[in-house]
This record gives sequence, C-alpha cells and structure tokens, in this order.
Amino acid sequence: MQIRDLPHPDPGVPDVRSGGRFLVWLCRRQLGGQFKAMAWGLVHTGAVASFPVPVGIAVQAVADRSGAGLALAGGLMVVLGVLVSVGDTMLHRAAVTNWITSVARIQQLLARKTAELGSALTRRVAAGEVVAVSTGDLEKIGWFVEAISRFSAAALTTVGVCVALVIYQPTLGTVVAIGVPVLALAVLPLLPRATQRADEQREKAGRATELASDTVAGLRVLRGIGGEELFLGRYRTASQDVRKAAVRSARMWALISAVQIALPGLLLIVVVWYGARLALDGRIEVGALVTMYSAVTFLLHPLRHFEEIAQAYSFSRPSAKRAARILALSRPADGRITDHAPLRGDLYDPVTGLLAPAGRLTAVVCGDPDAAGRLAERLGGHPASEPDERDERGEWGEPREGAAGGPGEAKSAGDAGDMADAGRPDDRTDASGAIASGAIASGAAASRTGDRANAGDAIASRTGGVDGADGDAGEGSEKSRGEAAADAAVPSRGALPSVELGGIPLDDVPRDAARQAVLVQDKDPVLLSGTLHELFDVPSSGAVTAEQALAAAQCDDVLAALAQSGTDDSGDPMHSRITERGRSLSGGQRQRLALARSLVTDPEVLVLDEPTSAVDSHTEARIADGLHALRDGRTTVVLTSSPLVLDRADQVVFLPEGKVTAVGPHRDLLRTSPAYHSVVTRETDEERARKQAGDAPAPREDPQADPGEGPRADPREGTQGTSHGAPADIPRGTDSATPPHARMGALDSIEETA
Amino acid sequence: MIGLAPPEHDPEAARTTTILPVGSPATVRSYVAGLIRRHQKAFVLLVTVNAVAVVASMVGPYLLGGLVEDLAADARDLHLERTIGLFALALVIQTVFVRLVRLRGAMLGERMLADLREDFLVRSVGLPPGVLERAGTGDLLSRITTDIDRLANAMREAVPQLSIGVVWIGLLVGALGVTAPPLALSVLVPLPLLLVGCRWYFKRAPSAYRSEAAGYAAVSAALTETVDAGRTVEAHRLGDRRIRLSERRVREWTQWERYTLYLRSVLFPVINATHTLNLGAVLMLGGVFVLQGWMTIGQLTTGALLSQMMIEPIGMILRWYDELQVAQVSIARLVGVREIEPEAADERITPDGRHVHADEVRFGYRDGVDVLHDVSLRVRPGSRVALVGPSGAGKSTLGRLLAGIYAPRKGEITLGGAELSRMPAERVRAHVALVNQEHHVFVGSLRDNLLLARTGADDAELWAALGAVDADGWARGLSEGLDTEVGSGGHSLTPAQAQQIALARLVLADPHTLVLDEATSLLDPRAARHLERSLGKVLDGRTVVAIAHRLHTAHDADVIAVVEDGRITELGSHDALVSADGPYAALWRSWHA
Repeated sequence: MQIRDLPHPDPGVPDVRSGGRFLVWLCRRQLGGQFKAMAWGLVHTGAVASFPVPVGIAVQAVADRSGAGLALAGGLMVVLGVLVSVGDTMLHRAAVTNWITSVARIQQLLARKTAELGSALTRRVAAGEVVAVSTGDLEKIGWFVEAISRFSAAALTTVGVCVALVIYQPTLGTVVAIGVPVLALAVLPLLPRATQRADEQREKAGRATELASDTVAGLRVLRGIGGEELFLGRYRTASQDVRKAAVRSARMWALISAVQIALPGLLLIVVVWYGARLALDGRIEVGALVTMYSAVTFLLHPLRHFEEIAQAYSFSRPSAKRAARILALSRPADGRITDHAPLRGDLYDPVTGLLAPAGRLTAVVCGDPDAAGRLAERLGGHPASEPDERDERGEWGEPREGAAGGPGEAKSAGDAGDMADAGRPDDRTDASGAIASGAIASGAAASRTGDRANAGDAIASRTGGVDGADGDAGEGSEKSRGEAAADAAVPSRGALPSVELGGIPLDDVPRDAARQAVLVQDKDPVLLSGTLHELFDVPSSGAVTAEQALAAAQCDDVLAALAQSGTDDSGDPMHSRITERGRSLSGGQRQRLALARSLVTDPEVLVLDEPTSAVDSHTEARIADGLHALRDGRTTVVLTSSPLVLDRADQVVFLPEGKVTAVGPHRDLLRTSPAYHSVVTRETDEERARKQAGDAPAPREDPQADPGEGPRADPREGTQGTSHGAPADIPRGTDSATPPHARMGALDSIEETA
Repeated sequence: MIGLAPPEHDPEAARTTTILPVGSPATVRSYVAGLIRRHQKAFVLLVTVNAVAVVASMVGPYLLGGLVEDLAADARDLHLERTIGLFALALVIQTVFVRLVRLRGAMLGERMLADLREDFLVRSVGLPPGVLERAGTGDLLSRITTDIDRLANAMREAVPQLSIGVVWIGLLVGALGVTAPPLALSVLVPLPLLLVGCRWYFKRAPSAYRSEAAGYAAVSAALTETVDAGRTVEAHRLGDRRIRLSERRVREWTQWERYTLYLRSVLFPVINATHTLNLGAVLMLGGVFVLQGWMTIGQLTTGALLSQMMIEPIGMILRWYDELQVAQVSIARLVGVREIEPEAADERITPDGRHVHADEVRFGYRDGVDVLHDVSLRVRPGSRVALVGPSGAGKSTLGRLLAGIYAPRKGEITLGGAELSRMPAERVRAHVALVNQEHHVFVGSLRDNLLLARTGADDAELWAALGAVDADGWARGLSEGLDTEVGSGGHSLTPAQAQQIALARLVLADPHTLVLDEATSLLDPRAARHLERSLGKVLDGRTVVAIAHRLHTAHDADVIAVVEDGRITELGSHDALVSADGPYAALWRSWHA
C-alpha cells in the first residue's frame, strides 16, 4: 500500500473482539509494509552496528602505522555511510507509510461505522468519545503499528551483533551476548507501574480538557452572569492535577532511563576491564578493544526500541480498546420483510392511535415535547431507542457501559454479544405473548398493566377502529392489514408495535427503505457544513427543486444574508458556505433552511417535529401556507402547537398523554375541546378559570402582577383529570380505567362528527 | 529522489478563515521569552544537571583513549584498577544525572504547559461578550483542545530536549577541542552540507506541517460532524455521502503526509551523510595526523568516540526542532487570543437610575451594512417591552445592544444616563442580563452551576433561588442534592430543568433589567408554560425587554415595539396597536383566529 493509493478502496472488516486483537488485525492487514519496514530497518541498524568495525580498523591501522589500513577503514566507512543513509530513509518511509495507512484505515472504518449507526451512535457512546478516538487514539494506535517493525529490526540486529561478537571475540563476545538480554529485560518489571501512571495522567488530562472545553462552550453564559473566577479556579486545580500526575509518570520513565544508562554502562566497564587485560596479555589487538567498546555503545540504540515498543504498546492498548469498542457497535439495518409492496398509503401508529391519511397534511398536538420527539422518531420506523426496549433487549450487541472510555470498560464486545443473544428468546416470548393476548381477547389484555399490555390493546383495538374509520377501504387493504397484524405477532424488535405505512410495519422493512419512504425531521436538525448547494444535495425524488423548497420555507432573507457573506465573488447564495452547524445563522434561519432541505427530499411521508419553533409568527404563517401547497398530494405530519400552523392543516390530531383523544380541524377542536384550546392558545389558567366561572376575561392585567400567584391550577394536573377545578376533557376525560377499545370507539364517533 | 510539489488543496487555507486572531511572530516571541523568564531557575537547573550528565558520559571515551594509548605504547602497567574505578564513578554520576535530566525536563515542560493552558483560559474568560457573541465559541474550543494537545508534546519533550541537545553538542565539541584540538576542526567538514540541507528543509517544512495537521484535523472534523448530525444523516440517508466525504478528506490529508515524507526523505540522507562525514573526517584526518606525529593515538580514539556520540544530540535537535515548528503555530493560535483588545472600559462610569434609553442608534455587523437604522426607544424602570417583527428585522441585535453586548456605531444606549458600552462588562451585568436560548449546564456540581451567579452564596440562598423558579422539587430529589454532578457525563437534566437552572442563576445574580431573547421558544407549550411561571417570578419587579416570536408574550407587555427592517415601525400597548389596525393587528388576528 502506497500513500498515494489512499484512501483504501475497502478498509476491511476489523477484528474488534478486543483491543489487542484489533491491533493484531491492523498489523496483519499490512504485513507487506511491515516486512518492508523491517527489511530496511535491518539494513539501517545493521550498517550502524557495523560502524565499530572501520573504527577499530582505523585505530589499529594507526597503531600499526599502516596507511593502507586507514584507507581500508575510510572505504568501509563510505560504504557503510551510504547504507546507513539509504536504510534510514527507506525505513522511515516504510514505517511512516505503515502509520498512515493504518490511521487512514481506522478513520475509514470509523466513518463507515458512524454512518451505519446514524442516530443510534450517540445513544450508545458519548459523541466526545468518538471524537477522542478519531483525534487522539488513532495516532497512538498508528504509533504501535509503525514501531513494531522498527522494533523487530532492532531486536534482530541486536541478536546479530551479539552473534558476530561471539564469533569475532568469543570470550568478550559471550560476556556481551549474556549481558544484552539481561539489559533488554531489566526495564520490563518497571513498565507496568510506568504505564499505570501514564494512564492516570491521561485520565486527568482528559478531565482537564473536558473542563476547559465545557467552560469555553458556556463562556457566553459565564460572561453574561459571572463566575469566571470560580471556573478558572476549578480548571487550575484540574490543570495542576494533570501536571502532578505527569511528573509522577515522568519519575517512572526517568528511572527507566537511568536503568538504561547504568546497566549498559556496567557492561561497558566489564568489557573495558576484561578487554584491557586481554590486550595487555597480547591476546587481542588494540583495535579489537575499540571495536568492542563501540559495539556495546551501539547496542544502547536498539535497547531504546525496547523501551519505545513497550511505551507504544502501553499507550496504544487503551486506545485500541476504545476504537474496538466503537467499531464493535452494530445496528441491524435489514428487516424481515424485504419483498414488500411500495411503501405508500396511510401512516398509522398503533401505540397512540394516530392515523395520518395519505396525501393530507396532518398536524399533531402532543402534551409533552419529549413524547412528541419520541413519537416523531417512531413514525419513521426503526427507532434508535425505545426506552422500554433497550434495557431488556440487547439490540446493540453490547450492553450499556458507564463512564465513556474509562478504565471501567471491562466487558469485551464478545461477551456482550453473548448476552444479547441470551436476552433474545425470552423477549420474544414475552412480546408475542402480549400481542397474542391482545389479538385474541382485548378484554383480557385490558386488565394487564404496563406498556406491553397497552401495545397489545392498541393493535387489537386498531383492527376494529381503523376499519371503522375508513369503511370504504377495499378488501385488498383489509387483507394487507390482516397480514400485517399477523406479522406483528412476531415483532422483530422492541416491545412497542411498529408504525405502519399502507399496512406494512416500517420496523420490519429494511431501514433504508423505511427512511426513503418516511423522512423524520427532528427538533434539532443539523445543517452540515458546506455550500448551500451541497446542503441541498440529498437523496430526493427530484420533483421539488431547491428554489421551490426555499421559497416555501420563506428563506429569502437567509439567501440574502448568505449572498452578502459569501466567500466567493459570484454573489450566488448557492455557492456561499454554511459554517459548522450553521452557527453563523440565527436559529430561525437554520430552521427554515433545514425545512427547505426536507422539502427538497420530497419523501412519500414527511414528519416534521416543531419545524417553526424559532420562527416569528409572521413568517410562520407563510411557511405553513407554503408547506401545504408544496406538499399537496403527499402525506405530511407536523408536530406543533402553533395555531398558525394548526389552522392550515387538513386535520389536527390531539394526542395528550400519548393517546389520541380528538381529531378534527383546528377551529372545531378549539370549540369542542377545552383541553386542546388551552394547550394551543396558551391562554392563562386564570382566564380559563374565569371562563368556567362565567366571568368575562379581564381585558388587561397589571403587568407588574406576579403571574405565578393567584388562583391557578397546574395545567398538567388539568389534563390528567385529577385536579379539582379542572374541566372535564371530552372523551379522554371519561375514565382512565375504561378499556381502550371503548376509548377508541368514542374516538371514532369524534372522527365522524369532525 | 524525484521532487514532489506540495499538493494543490491546502486544508490550512480553509482553516485559516478563523474568526479570532492568530498571534503574530512578535507576540509569540515575546510570549515565549516571558514563559522562559518565568521558569528561568528551572531552565538553569536543567542545563546544569544536563551538563554534568554529559561530562560524565565523556569520561568513558577519555579513559579508553588513555588505555589505548598505553596499550599501543606497550606499557606494562595500565593502572587498570584506578581506571575502572573512575569509569564506575563516572557511570554512577551519569546514571543519577540522566535520571535528573529527564525528571527536571518533564517538570519544566509540564509547568510551562500548565501555564500555557491556564493562561489561555484566563484570557478566554476575559474576552468581551461582544466578541464571543459574534465569533461563537467554536474557534476557541478548537484552540483549547487541538492546539493545547499539540503543544503538550512540544512542551513536554521538545523544549527540554532541545536545550539538552544544544548543551550536549556544545560540550562535545568543547571536549573534542580540549582532548584533541586538531580534531575539533574536522567537525567543520560536514557543517556546510548540514546547513544547506537544513535550510532547504526548514524553508518548506513548517507550512507543510501546518497543512498536514489541518488536513488531519479536517478528517476528524468530518467524522465529528457525522457523529454530531447522526439523526440528520440517518433521516436524509446521507451515510454514503458522509463516507465519501471522509474518504476525500483522508486523501487530501495523506497527500500532505506524502509531501512532508518527501521533505524528510531529503533531510534524512543529509543528516546521515553528516554523521558519516563527521566520523570519517575525524578518523581519516586524525589518522593522518597521528601518522604524521601531530597527535597521539589515544587522542584519536577519544576523538573518534566523542564524534560518534554527536549522532544523538544532532538527531535530537533536528527532531524536536521540527516539533517546535509545529508547536509555534499552536502557540500563535493560543496567544492570538491575547491580541483581542479588551473593550475600552471606563471604571468610573456608573449608572444613576434604571432608565434604559436608546437614542438614534445605528449598528451593523459589517462596514457599510447597517442592521439598525436610527432606532430610539425608552424603557421605563419596571416596565415590560416586547420586540416583535419578522426574522432578520434586527430584534435580536437591538436586544444585544440594550444588554450592552455590542456598542452602537452611531447614537448611544444609556442605562441611568451612563453609556452602557463604555462600562466594563462586569459592571454591566450587575444591572442587565441577556437571557437567551443557550442554557448551558456546566460539567460539575449543581452547586457550582448556581454559584457562578453569586460566588459567595450559601446553600440556603441557593435553595431559595431554586425554590423561586419551582426547581427545588426535582433538585431535592437528586441523590446528592446540590453536590450532584450535572452537565455532560453527569446526571442529565431535561431542557426544562436546564432552563430553570438558568433562571435560578438570574435570581442569584439579581440584575434589575433583563433582555429575554426567546428564552422559552424552543420548548413545547406545556413545558414552556410551566417555565413561564418560573420566569414570571424571576421577572417580577424587573425591567424586561422581551424579544418575542410568539405573540402571547407580546400580549402581556406594557409596550410593544414592532421592528421591521431595522426600524421601529409601530410602538404602543397591545390594545392601542390592535385598534390602530396596523401590521401587528393583522398578525394578532391570524394568531387568535
């Protein structure tokens, strides 16, 4: 592998069972490069190791007063010099190439993994951990992969020199040959302590960096309110902790270097003492003594590689472990149903009872923003997390671990996989049990408590409820629904039954197909950095142009702002760059661009979660019109509470507490449902209380009055139906103990009236 | 070696569109000089210990030279015991001092590194709020993570090692001059080659390394963005595109790696040739000198061994000089923050009263493009003013001016008759606070998260503040109360709870005027309503300027200012504006349909 051939056409499938295996896998993927580096390393260190020979010859030649000997030494030196040069350079090239190819390989693997995991990644590991692997850990892993070949070359040369010395000068050579392994092994007992201290240092450094970046991230808050000194003091403490830990760690490494001076030094003394006596007795020549001396000094160099490889290994092992941990995460992307009809039709959620008719704009009002977010996510199928599900089902092939990347990450991915497998059969029986009971006798199911029972109920009641809702649906659709219900009896994931599109459970079709059919725009869509043109370069139906989408999302002022700040001179806003996360734009501008992007995609079903929360009322009204016009004939679901949007929807579904309680046009619901009215218009509780009491609402309140005081009921208590003064909400207020199908029945009647 | 041109795409160029300044070479130099002065003692100590270690390491070659000389002269008595004794003594000294050198080097490096990162944060937290508001924190963030990280190596290793290397070489050449004066000259033989080679290399290397580092950072940045935008990437099925982007970044980065590898492929042979020439010159010239009788064979041996020892310090200097070049860039980025002028604040200006008054204010972010045109507004103490209007009309900008974050280009904004923009930020915030959607919960205890607003507050005050915003309920439910770790990695709080903490901070900081920039707009109605009650308690008795996207906020205000195109087009109470039947009335009707 050459650097110029990067990126790898295929980074391969890593062995991520453990950090060590991952390192081995990396090394094996570039065996050629490793051997190349080792070969050049042998040339280099071999040539360096041979330098004592000409030195000895030269000294001897001088002692013998031999010009020819001196010339021979000079000639040898030139040859060795060339070899050292070439060897060194080529070794460096080969080793660096190994480093780069392995780092590039892991970067590519990470890119693939993050793309595969998508929204699920950050729920499994902290985003910071992925970044830490990509920025810091890779270099350390690469270091080890690269150092290993240099180390092998050094080790081989050391052996070679020892052998040569034994042959050249048996007695002295034997002393050296015995001494060198002792030297090489002497530092090993010190290494575990040293690496442990290095680990502590890294941990502290990580903490300090976290504090610093956290402080900087919240700097505007600090500057606006105060407390800089408090946070500086905190950081100083952390920073000094790092320093102390680093010095503690350095103490160990300093000791190791001292040992690496002392032991070879002792060997050197023995060589000099013994050699001098041999020379005195005339058994060796002076030149030989000098050669021995230089050879032993040379051996200090390869010994450094012993230290380096130990260090590289100790640094790269936790890094490799972290990388392997992330690469071991997986998320199933396929579904049981691969051969399915085109995904179109009504969007139906059996859990909440939400039905979004095909081709219409449905607005959904939820009680609670988190519930709305979860609903939106489920509407797209293949939800990344289902709180009930995650604990029980090891969908992730790895159990959740506490501190990110900390020393506590003991569990290997292999173990986790086993655990996940073990969890599966249990789960299946449990879930299908719930479904079965729901399908057979909803009355029995109604007596059960918990989400699973509810899920079963929902399916059972749906088969009745939906059929009633669109009674003119043909037999075909009935049949497909029936099949869907049968399929749902063996859910492929999670305890909550899947959302269905045209009767096909979205969780059961391949994820990509589900995403293609239903686009869910979450509350906080991210604008990826790049030009505006690149922003709109998303997989799409091709039916909606960027211009149309931008116009519908009321992006004129955004375009004007971008055109002004554009970095190229074209003045074309499509060529202007959007900075990371669109930070240069205001919240409202970002929201509108994100909406435009979703409109360009033009999916069969578009689910928007609070798409206009940061947009002013004026613009919002126009966006709602634009959205309605552009999505005409396509299914659109908007989760919102803005009356301006609700008023422009084909129908509004009111869904407090996670169940549909009312369906109809905005204005009708305002009239018929006080609960809806209060959520949507945000009328104050006092106003509502007065209305109930038959008082005319006071025209204006004293602005100085504390709105927190005075007679008012907690709005949440109101919707829960437990508050004393709360009005009776329509059907849902009946009784929470009522069997769900009865509730659904009531709902049908609302739908009919609506 | 075939020449290689630097790659066309320069990731550094893309990165250099930094928002905050980068230090000039002069600033960097003076900063580094100051750093060295601060640690002068440690430096002197390091150099001294190092000198002792180096001198001790030269004893071996010196003694061996003597032995060789005696042996060559066929001496019968070598005083071997004495020689070996000296050798051993030197070894003990060398061992002890080498350990000291490494330890002292690390201590010095760590101390400088700690200084550097703490200095940087001190500087960062002193930045004018206007600069932060405009530049955001992303650039700062990358400096404190990437650049500090990169410097760690340089400070930990490069500075100590470089000083060690320089001392080492000096002592070796000196020793050579003492033991074998003629040989000291032979050191000069390879010098021209080394100089030419290094000059060529260091002319190209620094910028190439910068680009390489930026290229590498771009690889990580692409990945980080994919992670960060996980939901968006998945929803829009952008996975394949992100993979392709990452691979493009890998290619761009590795092209620079290839280029710097080429640079080193030129440098390395030069260095190796230098070593060979050096040793060769010593041996050949020295051999001739001995043969000519100008010096002894012992001197030659010592000289040869000493010059062999030079390999290490030369390599050390070149290797770490490289690192220092890279570090220099990072230092420039860190020190650059120092170049931001602190606002010209006048400590003597103190407000008299609570009237906020904008007088014919003009303001723009860029020269020649004004966002606000001659805006005048009086805010009575204790009153509520709502700013409404379409996006991009300048509402938020006006709010920031009223909060003293930006200074008007023309006209003035006064609080109690004193010009806001000339007051130090610390004083402004005692009176006015900007409350926006940013509710950062800091990593740390709940207590720390509140204390920042009033550093001396005791627990009772903190609980009172939490109670004032209805947050004491859940806060008391936390396992460790105020000591519970919150923020990223700690106990995770809901957005509403985070917002309540932000409000509790306001209660503690107790400014009399608040500028609310859509503080609750990102929350859904029910949570928002709950929060509005908390907010209501906080607002009680304070002057409030509220930037409102939602009309119900405006409805409750004493005065509503409709901002359009950077001008206030309508001003009055809700009822007055509704009966005036202007744009506001139209909007109100559609809202309340």
